[in-house]
Formats: sequence, C-alpha cells, structure tokens
Amino acid sequence: MDRKPLFRRKTAISYKTEEKTVLRGYDLSELAEEGYSFCDALFVLFQGRIPTKKEEEMLQYETAEFLEHSMSPSAASAFAVISGRPDLPAAVAASVMTFGGAHGPGAAHGYMMHKYIERARVEKKSLEEMGKILVDEYMDAGLAVMGIGQPQHTDGDPRAEPTHIKHEELGVGGVYLELQRSIEKHFNERRKKEGRSYVAVNMIGAGNTALAELGFSPNAAWCIGCVCRGFSCAAHALFSMKKGRAWAASKREPMVQMLDLSMIKYIGPEDREVPSQEERQEYANKQKEEGEYKKWVL
Amino acid sequence: MGTVIGNLNDPRLQYDYQNREHGTVKPDTKREPFQWVSEVAYKNIHRIVARGYDTTELVESGYGIGDVLFIDYQARIPLIEETKMLNYVMIMSLEDGLSSPAAISRIVASSKSLLTQAAGASILAFGHAYGAYSAFGNMLDTYLSMAEKEGKTMEEIAEILVKENINSEALGVSNLMLKDPAAKRMFARAEKLGVAEKYIAFTKEIVKAAQKISKEPVDLDMLGATGATMMDLGFSPEATWAVLAVSRAFGAGAHYCEEVEREEPRRLGQALTPKEDYDGPEDRPVPTLEERKKTVRPAQSHTPEEWKKAFDEKQKLKGTGWSIEEEIEDPRRKI
Repeated sequence: MDRKPLFRRKTAISYKTEEKTVLRGYDLSELAEEGYSFCDALFVLFQGRIPTKKEEEMLQYETAEFLEHSMSPSAASAFAVISGRPDLPAAVAASVMTFGGAHGPGAAHGYMMHKYIERARVEKKSLEEMGKILVDEYMDAGLAVMGIGQPQHTDGDPRAEPTHIKHEELGVGGVYLELQRSIEKHFNERRKKEGRSYVAVNMIGAGNTALAELGFSPNAAWCIGCVCRGFSCAAHALFSMKKGRAWAASKREPMVQMLDLSMIKYIGPEDREVPSQEERQEYANKQKEEGEYKKWVL
Repeated sequence: MGTVIGNLNDPRLQYDYQNREHGTVKPDTKREPFQWVSEVAYKNIHRIVARGYDTTELVESGYGIGDVLFIDYQARIPLIEETKMLNYVMIMSLEDGLSSPAAISRIVASSKSLLTQAAGASILAFGHAYGAYSAFGNMLDTYLSMAEKEGKTMEEIAEILVKENINSEALGVSNLMLKDPAAKRMFARAEKLGVAEKYIAFTKEIVKAAQKISKEPVDLDMLGATGATMMDLGFSPEATWAVLAVSRAFGAGAHYCEEVEREEPRRLGQALTPKEDYDGPEDRPVPTLEERKKTVRPAQSHTPEEWKKAFDEKQKLKGTGWSIEEEIEDPRRKI
C-alpha cells in the first residue's frame, strides 16, 4: 500500500510513522493508555501541554454543555442537508460550517478581548475601566457588543452564567473573566440609563472567556466550541435519516413538512412573461434603463 | 397567456402549461403546522434538554463530553468504564498527521477562509475508504445477522466475510499497523475495562481469517479497532462515523491554525500544474465555429452495441468519470 506523504508541510503538531502517531511530542497511544481524557488531549493539541486537573474539568464542563443546543442554525442545516440523503458527513460538515459572524462568533470575541486587554496594559487602565471603554466604543459606533444576548434564550442562556460561576469556582479566572464581567456590568448600566431592558451574557461571552482563560487562542477556542456542536448535529441528522422522511416534503405525514410547498412565502417580483429571443435585446435594455431591478439585486 | 413558448403546448405534457396557476401554495391548515421534530433534544427559554436530561444540570453534576455523547446518541448515562473507553478512542482519533482531513483543512485555510469552513470540510474526508466506519460497521452487522440466520459460528462467518471482502478498504484488517501496536492495545484496553463485546470478538475472528488467506502479512488496523470498539460501546455504524470524524475535526482545526500561521495564502491562478504531469490530449487548435459544424461528433448511441463501444472509448480519457463504477443496490438480491 502506498504510504507516501499526501501533503508536505513543516508542522509542529504531529508526525506519524509506521510505529506510532506522535502529537506535540506525546505518543497518542501512550496518552490514551495513561488514562488522559479527550479534553486533556485537546490541550495537548492546541497548546502543546498537559493541563492542570482544574483546567481539564473546566474544559469538560464547557465541551459537554456546548455539545447540544437543540435547534440552532447548525442543527437546522444538518436537518436540511440530510433531507437530500447524502453521506452523513456532508450534513455534519455543513453544521460546523454554519458557525460564522452571528452563530457562535467565538474567534471575533477572543480578538476583541485581546485588543482591549492590550489597551489596558498600554494605556495603564484597569480591566474594569477598559470594560466600560469597550462598551462605550461599541455602543457609540452602533455595533453589537459581542458575548451578550441570545435570540432564543431571552432571559439569558441557561448555560452562560453557570459557566461564569464554574469558571470562578474552579479558580481558573484571570484577566479575561475580569474584563468580561466588566463588559457585562457596563453594558447593562448603559442600557438602564437609556431605559432599555437587561440583556444577559451568552455562551460566547461566558464560554469563550473561559476557553481564553484556559490558554486557547481565539481560533482554537472557536474550533472547540463549533466542532463540539458537530457531535450533536450529527445525532440530529441521524435521527432525521433513520426516522424522518427524505426530501422533507411528503404529503403523507400528519405534520406539514419543512419543505412542503405551502412553507414558501414569496416576496419577489410579480410573475411576468418571459420575453422571446426576438424581444430580448430591447426588453433587456429597457430593464437596465428603468433600473427597477436594482431593488432586487442581492 | 396566448403565445406558446417553446414546447409548452406539446400534447405529451402532463397538464396544461398555458394555464398554470400563479403564486405560492396556501398554508395547509388540514395538517399540523411544521415544527422541528426531534427525539434528541429540545430547548426553551430557560433550559436545554438532551434525551430528557437538562444539559446544565448534567455538567453541574460532573458529566463530561463523553457522557453527553452517550446521552445524545444512545439516550443513556454510560458506565464509567464506557466513558473511559470512549475517551480512549477519541484521543486515538484526534490526530493522524498530515492525512486527508488535515490536508483538506489546510487547503481551505490557504484560501483565507474561516476556521469553521476548514474544520467542517475536514469531516468530508471521512468516506467509504478513509475512516470507513459506516461501511465497516454495517459489514459486521450484515454478517453477524447472516450467522444468526444460518446458524454459523463467528469463526465460520468471519471466514466467509473475509473471502468476500478481502480487498475492501473497509475490512478493518490490513498491513497498516504491523509495526504500530496502537490498534491491538485498544482491544486490550476494552477487554481490561470490561467493555469488549461481540464486535471486538468478531473482528478478532476476521483478523485470524484474513491472516489465513492473505498473501502478505496483515493485522488489525485502526479502522477495525476503533470501529469495533465503538460498536461494542453501543454506537451504530453511522454514529461511529460521525463521532470519530468530528473528533478529528478538532485536529483539523489545529492544522488550520498552523497553515495560517506558517504559510502564505494562495491566490486564484497562483498554483501551476507542470505539463509533465499532464497526459491528456495533445495541444490542438480550437476549431472555428464554422468548422465545428463539420468536425464535431455527437455523443449519442442508437444501439446497445454502439453504446458499449462508445462507453469503452470514453473510459480512455481520465477525469470524465466514465471509469468510476459505483455499486448500487441490486433489487434482485435477496437479503
């Protein structure tokens, strides 16, 4: 069997020989044999170190709670993709790829934290002060303050505050938690002054803060959060694959299906006649001149 | 509409295309309205519940990621030994050097894409050869059920399985782990933890049967070890496929990070393909549109014989897909 390297790169992550697979210097099989957990191995993977037990416990807590979130954009995409009955990995891949600027924007939150912690250092301000500066700068610019608010859990994500508390309880708190707490405090103080309602921390604010504190870079933390969700989205896709209807449009089901024709609400241009090829050039010119089409351009 | 467009008044059409209704379909009020139906999980404003267990209560009670995987996929709290074994398997699945998932992740990263796109894309590397857990597991189930129906022993059915699948990438036995003890150590650990059941036992018989008939030395490989262990932990072949592919996606995420940290992004048109790697048609002039009418040949065949001749001819040009043969279910086959 051809065992030539598939891809050549200098790498500090791992190597693989006929005898063993080595991750950051540790034989993977030895790590497993020794009784380390998968979460321990994530520290080795992303940080090249074995974590303290408390750090491992915090990551266990976070990954276990990140894993399942019922119907979010990621699970919805898994359902949608598997309805066409591709191989299961397609649905799982799609679910992980759903994470971006709105759904779980973990890396962006991490970079925001870095920027303001660095400013606190350079500008010789406390993290408490810097939290207020961050909130004011974001809100003055009309930008959303990352890490706060969740569209479904309108009273606060049930996982978020307990994550902060666990973060403190395990004694793994540091600059990130201090800044995040300050952001939450000043964000709501300002909203109160403006006569607006209280908005609680979300899982980016709580979870990503803890991951940063555990030593994960913004992208590593994002990876952990989003890929964890892939586990549960795969379960949702499997449920649909094994117990649901392919195509998700059957009229025989007692419930209207996701892709039933009646689920379509159209708000585009009115139905119109297709111009013949003889009429086409004049028609197209007129459309361009009138410019009405521009309001539909995406 | 008076004007007929194209063939839209052809009498063979199933309905009157000239007088089709406009607008969308009205909401169906005779059936229950659409909802996301799930046996796996639900949430409300204050709770997230997986298989009946509140996930915040789970983590506050000290359950970890491995436990929640059992809950999501199997609707049960696992034994401590089962969670330990799952951790073991997941660690072994986390990283595999610069193999397909890492390579895909790095290629996506090199386009300056988001990490989630790279990590997600890496999952697509798991198919029916690389990480063929679905194919492997379903093969075990098929032959085990055959053994039950036909009253054969595990040893006998393993020999049949091997004879029929000796060249399959999903056999779980190969020459890949002759010097690396990791696969066999996994079975030993499962036995030590008391979680080894029929799939590990059966896979061991498959290894013996393959060693009897193989011309070259072969042994249990990582596909066989992880696939059988996961199934003894109660994961279905498809669940195994998903859990292990996602476990590797964390590793792929690290490869994304390293690619961005160490390499320059690749631009459209940047990469060259040397002519010496090309073995397609010789360079040739593009015919004018006038010449096209005289020189080009249509693809249609009008008899099965003509079709076969054209089929064989088409297989000569690689990259057309004509040399790929995918198995589809034979409806005549009695299961």
